[in-house]
Parts: sequence; C-alpha cells; structure tokens
Amino acid sequence: MSGRLILGLALAGLLVLPFVLSPYRLILMLPFMAYGVILLGLNLLFAYAGLVSFGHALFVGVGAYTGAFLGAHAGIRSIEVVVLVAAILGAVVAALVGLLCVRYVKIYFGMLTLAFGMVFYTFVLKFYRITGGDEGMPVPRPLLLGLDLDAMPKTDYLIGPYYYYCLGVLVVAAAVMWRIVHSPFGLCLRTIRDNPTKAEALGVSVTRYRWYAFVISGVFGAVGGALLGPPIGNVDPTLVYWTHSGSLVFMALLGGFAHFFGPVLGAFVFIFLQDAVMSVVPYWRLVFGAILAAIVIFAPGGLMGLFARRRAPVEVARP
Amino acid sequence: MATTRREFLSMVGGAAAAAGVVAAPAGARAQAKKGVPADPVKIGVMAIRAGIAAPVGAAGLRGTEWWADRINKAGGILGRKVQLVVEEESTPKDTVERYRKLILQDKVEVVLGGISTGVTLALAPVAEDLATPWLSWDGTTQKGVDETMPKPRWSFRSVDNEVEAIVAGQLTPKYFKGIKTVAGIGNDYSYGHDCWQTYQAVLKRYIPDVKFVLELFPKLGVTDFTSHIAAIQQSKADLLMCSFWSGDATIIMKQAAAVGLFKTMKGVFTTAGGVHDSLKKEFTPDGLLLGYNSMYFDDPRGSALLKQFVREYKAKYDEYPPYECDHAYFCAESYKAGVEKAYAAAGQWPSKEQVVKALEGIEVESLSGRRSWREDHIQMCSFYQGVTTHKNSYDFVTIDPVEVVSTKQSMKPAGSKLMEWIAGWKI
Amino acid sequence: MTANLVNVLMSGVFHAAILFLVSAGLQLVFGVQKIFNLACGSFYALGAYVGVSAVSAFVSAGGAPVLFILPLAVAGLAVGAVGLVVERGLLRFVYDRDETFQLLLTFALVLMMEDAIRLTWGTAPQSTSGYYLLYGQARVLGAVMPVYNLIVIAASVLIAAGLGLMLTRTAFGRIIRAAADNREMAEALGVDMRGIYARVFTLGTALGTLGGALVIPATAAMSEMGIELIVEAFAVVVIGGLGSMRGALVGALVVGVLRAVAISVYPEIEMLLIYLIVIAVLLLRPRGLFGGAAA
Repeated sequence: MSGRLILGLALAGLLVLPFVLSPYRLILMLPFMAYGVILLGLNLLFAYAGLVSFGHALFVGVGAYTGAFLGAHAGIRSIEVVVLVAAILGAVVAALVGLLCVRYVKIYFGMLTLAFGMVFYTFVLKFYRITGGDEGMPVPRPLLLGLDLDAMPKTDYLIGPYYYYCLGVLVVAAAVMWRIVHSPFGLCLRTIRDNPTKAEALGVSVTRYRWYAFVISGVFGAVGGALLGPPIGNVDPTLVYWTHSGSLVFMALLGGFAHFFGPVLGAFVFIFLQDAVMSVVPYWRLVFGAILAAIVIFAPGGLMGLFARRRAPVEVARP
Repeated sequence: MATTRREFLSMVGGAAAAAGVVAAPAGARAQAKKGVPADPVKIGVMAIRAGIAAPVGAAGLRGTEWWADRINKAGGILGRKVQLVVEEESTPKDTVERYRKLILQDKVEVVLGGISTGVTLALAPVAEDLATPWLSWDGTTQKGVDETMPKPRWSFRSVDNEVEAIVAGQLTPKYFKGIKTVAGIGNDYSYGHDCWQTYQAVLKRYIPDVKFVLELFPKLGVTDFTSHIAAIQQSKADLLMCSFWSGDATIIMKQAAAVGLFKTMKGVFTTAGGVHDSLKKEFTPDGLLLGYNSMYFDDPRGSALLKQFVREYKAKYDEYPPYECDHAYFCAESYKAGVEKAYAAAGQWPSKEQVVKALEGIEVESLSGRRSWREDHIQMCSFYQGVTTHKNSYDFVTIDPVEVVSTKQSMKPAGSKLMEWIAGWKI
Repeated sequence: MTANLVNVLMSGVFHAAILFLVSAGLQLVFGVQKIFNLACGSFYALGAYVGVSAVSAFVSAGGAPVLFILPLAVAGLAVGAVGLVVERGLLRFVYDRDETFQLLLTFALVLMMEDAIRLTWGTAPQSTSGYYLLYGQARVLGAVMPVYNLIVIAASVLIAAGLGLMLTRTAFGRIIRAAADNREMAEALGVDMRGIYARVFTLGTALGTLGGALVIPATAAMSEMGIELIVEAFAVVVIGGLGSMRGALVGALVVGVLRAVAISVYPEIEMLLIYLIVIAVLLLRPRGLFGGAAA
C-alpha cells in the first residue's frame, strides 16, 4: 500500500472519529493532536539535525502558559491570537536559548537544554504571584475563528469544534514541516547531521543551520503547547518538568524517528496505550519503561521501523 | 491512576467489596423500594495515593470505605448497594482526565474527594460542565471561592481552608503571651499563601504592633527543611506559624527538634493534625498549638459513632484516624441523606439535579458530630485546636485543652469578602 | 551571628555530603563508560526505601534502636548490587550505540524503578521516625546541630578520601583512570573492559544507594525523590566537570551551600540560582571546574 494511501485513510479516519468514538476517548485525541504538532518540531531536531533535546517541554510550557496569560491578563481568548503569540514567543525563546545551545552537540546539548528547561520550570513554579506557582493558571475556553461557543457544554465543544480545529492545525503543521524537510534547508540539515566537517567545507554554516532548526522546533513546540491547555482548562509547572521532556523524546522514539510520521504515531500510541494500561494496573511507568528499554535495545527504529517497507520517505536517520 | 474492580477488592478486603460489587442478594432486593433501580449506585472517589500527601488521601479513602461498608451492611441507600469507583488524585491535569473518565466512562452518579487546592481549582469548572454533583473533601481557598467559582451549581466545596488559620490566629494570643515577632512557613501554593495572609490579618487585630519577620514557601513535596529552619532561627522570631498539612509537617517537626528550634520559639501548626499520629513524642514538644480541623480522634465529648470509628480504624490500620476521615464520611453520608430526602419528594430514585437541591442546607450526623452544607455549597463544621501535651497513653502528642470553634463563628459568611470581614470584627 | 552562619553552612554541607555520594557514583560511571546515568536518582531512592525497611526489620528483630545506623548503612551499600543486575541485564546491550540511546535507556530505567518502588513499598512516605535524634546534638561554634548530620558528613568525607585513594593508589583505580582516559588503548593493553564496566557501574550504584539510605533518617522516603534529586546531581557534575571526582566534591559543596544560603537570603531564587550557574558553566567553561575535554 502506498504511503499516500495510508495517509489518506488515516486522515479520513480522523475526520470521522467524532461520530464513532466515545466522548472520553475523543477527548484523549486532543492531547494526541497537540503532541503531534510538538513532535513534528522535535523530530526536526532529533532525526534531521541529530540533536536530542531534553528540555523541549520548555516550549510546550511557553505555548501553554501563553494561553493562560492572554486569557487571564488580557482577556484575549481568540485561539488564533494565542497560537500566533505562542509561536512568536516560542521563536524568540528558541532563538535566545538556541544561540547558546547549538554550539554543542550530543551530551552537552542534552544537558544545556535540560538546564534551560528546568530554569523555566523553576521560574514558573516559584513566582507564585505571576504564574500561580504549583497550582498553575486556568485557561479559558478559546474562541475558534472568532466564534463564541460558550453556550455549548464544554464536553460537546471539545469533541466537536475544538477537535476539528486541532486536527486542522495538525494537518497544516504537518504540511509545513513536510515542505521544510524536503527543501534545500532540510537537505542541508541532513548533511550537517551526517558529516558536519564536510558540510562546513561545502560552505554550510553548521551552527547557523542548527539554530534555524532549533527555532523552528521551538515554534512547533509552542503552538502544540497552546493547544494542550484548553481541554484541561489549566496549565501547571509539571508541563515543563524534565520528565515531560523525556516523555516527548520517548514518543518520538516509540513511533520511529526515522520516518516523517513516526513521532506522530508515537504520540498516538503513547497516549492510548497509557490509558489502556492505567485501566488495568496503576503501574503504567513500569510497562512503559520496559517498552522504551525494549525499543532502545531491539528496535531503535520504533514502530515505523517495524512496519515500514524498504522505501523511506526520508533517509534513515542516524543511528 | 485507575483502580480496576479487582484492585479495589483487594484493597478494601472482603466485606465492603462483596457488598459493593456483587448484585444485591435476594433478601436485599426484596427491600429495594419503589422507583429505585436494583443495580448498585456507583460513587466515584478521588484520593491522593502518592507523594507527601498520600497519608491524607489514604485517610479520606478509608473513611469513605468504612462508610460504604456500614451502609451496605444496613442494606444500602434506599436498598441500593453502594459501589465505590476509585481514581487517583495527582496532578491537576491527570486528575481532570480521571474525573472525566469517572463520569463519562464509569458513569458514576456522584464524585467524592479532592484534597489539594491546585486540583480542586482545576476540577471545579470541569465539574460544573459535566453536570454531576461533586462533593469535595478539602482544598477550598479564597481563590476558589472568589475567582473561579462564585456560584457553583454542581460543586460542593469544603470549608474555606483559611479557617484553620483564623482559629489559630484567634487562639494564639490566648495561649502565647508577649508575642512580638512572627515567622511563617507554608507550602508554595494558594493554600500556604492564603493561610499566612489570613493568620497575619487575624493576629494583627489582636496584637496590632506584631511584626512579621520572615515568610518561607517551600514547594509541597520538599523533604529537606534544614536550611529553612536555619533561616527561621536566624530571624529570632518569637513564634513560628506553620500551615503544613501532610507528611512534611512531620519532617519539619523532626528537623526542628534536631536543632532545638522550639526550645526558644513558640510554634503554631494550624493543620498538622492531618498527620497527627506521626508526630511522635520523641520529636514533638508539648506547648505547641496544633490544629485538627474538623475531627479530633480523642475528643472527650466525642459521640459513640466517633468512638466506634476510631476503634475499628485502629484495629484495621494500626493508626489513629486524622480529620480527613471526617470530611470524607460527611461527604458520603450527606450524599445518602440528600438522595433519601430527594426520594421522599420525588417518589423515585432522584435525578442529579434533585440530589443537588436536596443537599443544600442539609445536616447529618458525621464522625465529629452534626455537620451541614451551607446554602452556597460550602461545608460547615467545628474546628478543633489545642495545646500539645505528652500526657497520654500514645507514642504521639495529643491536645489539652481542646478548643472547639464552629464555622459559624470562624468562617466568613456567604457572600462576604474574607479580609473585609476580618477587618470588621469587634475585638 | 556566627551561630546563624554556622547553621546555614552546616545545613548546606549536610546536603552536600549526600549530593556528593550520589554525584560521585554518577561521575564514576560517566568517566569510564561515558554514560550519564539518569537512573542514579532512582538508585538513591531505592537505597532510601531499603534503608527504612532494614532499620524497621532490625528493630523489630530486637536490635537496639541506637545502633540503627549500622543496618542502614549496610543495607544501603548492599542494595548497590542491583547495579550489577542492571548493568549485565540491560546496559551492556547499548555500549556500542549512540549515547542518545544510552541516555534513553537510563530514562527507561527511571520509569521502571519508580513504579517498582511503588509496587514494593506502596505510596505512603516511609521514615525511620525519631531515630534521627537518637545521637543527640552537638554545639559547633554556638550553633546546635544533630550529631547524626555530623556523622553523615564525616562518612562522606571518609568515602571521598577512600575513593581518592582507590583511584590513585590501587591497580583497580589506575585501570579505571586509564579506561576513562582512553578506552581503546586500555583494551589494547589487555584490560577486561566488560569486567571493569560491571564493577564500575556497581560501585557507582552503591554510592547512590548509600547516599539515599543515609539521608533518610533526617527526612522521609517518598515517591519522586529520585527524579527530584537527579536534577541537583546533574548540576553538581556540570559545575564540577563531567567525570571528575574532585569535581563531584567541589560541585556538591557549591550546590549544597549555595542552596542553603539562597534559602536564608532570598528563597524565591533557590534552585533558579543553581540552574543559572549550570548554564553559565556550560557556556563559559563546559568542562566544568575539573572536567576533561569538552564536546
């Protein structure tokens, strides 16, 4: 079956889901879609630039708290504004943080990103008066395309209009990332990942391109983060904690970071598997830890690595 | 985290489980009243299971299970057995998801529980949206009352949690003379901050020129207070006010004893009764002011119900019950009373709206005595605080004398603003 | 005045003593195996819970409570054997992989161990009650502090000295340093790397579990204590320099004391200050105070 066909079927499935799935499961789809957006960005760093960030939750937090701040302090509930502001803030923060981080690779990059993530976490946690501290801040129900849907019960709103809106954002995000990855820029990134010295010799500035990738990933992270807030109605510092960053990388690996849609699949499996496991036994971390270990040891290509045929839409990322 | 039916059975043990899960045996069915379904009534319960507040969550759950056990032995609510569906209260985000699951997936008729303010703040709007009564054990602070939920329809919330600070503030000048400087430590969220603000406001009414020399707000979950204690010693305050309500109260007491903090400083622990039997005599001095919120297990004027509960709790868990048990029991018992009252009016098992209407203003016999729901969906009860003493037969401290202050005096009336109300007191 | 300063400093040093033990384990493993073991915090937690159980068992079996530190320390060390199981059973499969995967495997371990601990000990905090106070108090320059803290600090210092001696004077130590410096060369010279890896990882784990056990009488064993600690340990090794023992010692002191001082002076910034220092170090001197070559 061609990749395009599968993609088409998946999309059709997603469109039809609200008529088929129970409300509870449908609401689970919302964080999946938000994580889908976030992971598209993370994977640009991970698979294409070869950088593992252990602080990506920083951008998720930036996006999520943007929604809360705009709602609480400026009375702005339009999701378009929230997403736009989140994207800009994500870009700015990523630009600054990235300037400092992209000079390093591997373990140092991971450590720096972890440190920045925890700086933001500490800030959000300690400045109780501004950010609500440990309790977090409420996120008001957004206006979609300017429409005030407050009359709808929240559950109907979430499984109806908000679901389709998020799906729209995910599709757009995926299309944009696809273009990015298949552009000359994407090619440069892969060259840098595989052989930085050669890239420099060819006139490609290694740190500059990594920086671009970092900023883009930050934007995607913030946009996804902005979508995460409304279903729960609350954002809190645990969104930014280092284990959340670790989970993001886990999702990417689970789905298979070598494939474009791998991480999105990973997000889906992670969320629904977690729900399924939690219904049976509270020790989901044990199960998930074992799964992660198994993937790392036996199947580093993740789920897509197990399914995918010879043809790789993008070359297998190293290693 | 979810608990399967299997899990729940193993937790609760034979009696309650068998009564709850198995369909009512023939004899009980014969008792089922007109218009009452035969299947068990599902009651959702949210309890903290992990982390520093786990003992408090466990207490609430045990109180609810004891209630369920009793009710089922007596035939259930209007002949319908009670079945508890337990989910974990953890972070606001996860708890909201579990709450939705309880209502959308498990189809419970009511949800009991909720302790941590952060969680109850996040839950309130969701509860309102899902149109199912939610009786919260604890967690309400002014933020919850004023900012996010001025007129709740489905949510029934705990006593304003600042009341323990108010009562402590009123009792401080009575028991500790000559207090000029005060230091405060509380958890870094609205409960800790609000309690400190409230305590300051109340104390200032009685001791106008008191100075507040230090305030510390470690995050809930910190286990090392040695540096905080050093800072407190440095401040040379006459008194330390601490609003810790979970395992960290025990830890700070221990670490304070290790440096002899309370040899030279007075101490007010507004809410540490939540973990009271972990405050062992070895490291908890006498002469501290200690709060037990709505239930004091050793109340000399306690009812027969309380005495029975304490006895059976101790026999089963080898611990003495803290006040969270009373909040939990009250919520469950008031739900039953509400259903019965609404049934009397409706002639059949009441709808959720009818139950909510019946709950407003209802009064029931709880473990600590008579308690009620105020019209604006806020709990009413009595608060127990007192001075710690070692003169007892336990290995932990108790209080003597026991001050009992009703929320009629110590909680702001419906519709008023807390600080304005305190400012308007006649001293 | 001095009494206050001493109080603040000593509380910082106590925290540093525990941090050192855990970080030393981290450094050892990183230095030789080049793996940043995220699970070292989890081993710390394991040591804490095992320590509580050991003390309870000891006292129930009739042991004198005043001797509690013995079963505590012994149990803390003994459970370090888990490190061997983890290394042989899990870690060795990824030695030839990219370090990202090694890191992720240790993250998997963090997840598994957190639930394994929950499964075994339940979720309520565990403590050794009032035993912390059994050794009384001491006056140091006017400040009162529990003798137990001084014992732990002394133990930490001894262990640091012991580690230093081991690394410089024993054959094992020399081999470790050689392997840390240049693995291929060491292998070429006939060193059995597999055996070294197993022993180093076990020793690193044991240091972490011991740290956890020793801290418990002063506080309580709780879920998530592991994932909270790893961030501090991480700060220690960055400041001190990845792979350096001296770095672990100095880094631990810096983090421990700074944190204590921050709480006394400006509590809001507490950990924020530490992370900012971490970032500054990573940017200005990535190898830390005593570390080897940077990335």
